[in-house]
Amino acid sequence: MNPKQLACVFLLMIIGGMTYAAQMVHNKVSSTRTEAENMESAAVTAENERSTAEIATTMFKADTEDVRRFLRGWLPVLDRVQTQQEAEQTIQLSLRERGINLVLAVKTELKNSASNKIIPKSLVTTMTIEDEYAKVLNWLGDIERRLPTARMKVMQITGGSSGRQLKMEVSFETPIFNLAAAEAGKGKAKDTPKKP
Amino acid sequence: MNEYLCHDFKTPRTDTSRRLPSSFRAIPVIFYVALVGSSYVMTMDYFNYKRALKQKTEAQERKKLSEEQRDAFNNEKASLESEATKAESVAQWMEGARNIQPIAVKIARAVQPETRITQVTLERSEQVPANLALTIHLNGSQVPNELATIESALGQLLYRSYSAQQTKNGDVVEYHSTLVRQSE
Repeated sequence: MNPKQLACVFLLMIIGGMTYAAQMVHNKVSSTRTEAENMESAAVTAENERSTAEIATTMFKADTEDVRRFLRGWLPVLDRVQTQQEAEQTIQLSLRERGINLVLAVKTELKNSASNKIIPKSLVTTMTIEDEYAKVLNWLGDIERRLPTARMKVMQITGGSSGRQLKMEVSFETPIFNLAAAEAGKGKAKDTPKKP
Repeated sequence: MNEYLCHDFKTPRTDTSRRLPSSFRAIPVIFYVALVGSSYVMTMDYFNYKRALKQKTEAQERKKLSEEQRDAFNNEKASLESEATKAESVAQWMEGARNIQPIAVKIARAVQPETRITQVTLERSEQVPANLALTIHLNGSQVPNELATIESALGQLLYRSYSAQQTKNGDVVEYHSTLVRQSE
């Protein structure tokens, strides 16, 4: 092989090398552009998800505003009675302040509810009192004011030992709320009732 | 320099090596074309690479920011759901914990002095705590009118009597009904 042929071979090798290098660089750039396009697509998807999450959150916030406002309004009351002793003290204080002297029977029972995490415990109180008409009904109103979350289950008023006396048997359940233990749910809010 | 030498230089000389085929003359041209072409392609690729990298970085930042905001919204929604669930439970309980003292007072005030109420019982339904079973034992001559007055008075408290029944037992009329609270 003469020098001219060697020079041609050498040039051909350089041409091959340059073409190969250009191709490799081009492939690398193509893969980078593909990655960029994929990332752009992922960013658009993430933006759509963010937008969807924002709309869902805003709608849920608006839909549940009433019921959440209701809860915020009641939180101080719910925190007021957190133990059995507090409920019993409130009842005794109410009897004392309202001047109900004749308490025929008092029975308290702590009721546990494993299924209800928001109200895991409640105090069921059954009482029989006897006094004047006004004092008895005023006491009933007072206990409902002091324990607004208490649910009156049974209330029976009959005549007392004398003509002016009334005998009232009442059974009510005072819930002991544990809002911290409540789990998140998916339920939609309903109308909020108001305590009369 | 003499003429002989000059003549000798102009004498055709044989090549030291054989000439390349004419097609091989294109190789240098191809070399320059490949050099220019490769330089152009690689230069353009360099700019494209830089642009793609910038686009990728910006997209990554946008994606990360969007994901953070999405997670924040999802967390806020989860928190709202938790609060709403609690609120619903509390509201459900409170729906069945409305005061009954006003009912007792309304009943007592509704009857005339000549009519005697011997017993009033309000019992909350286990299934629907908002509903109350009302039982009244009355004694008097104007009992039907008094019962209508009582129902009217309870209507002022937004309670309506359902399934009302009256049973006469001697002089005593036993009245039973279910009080259902009407929506405001």
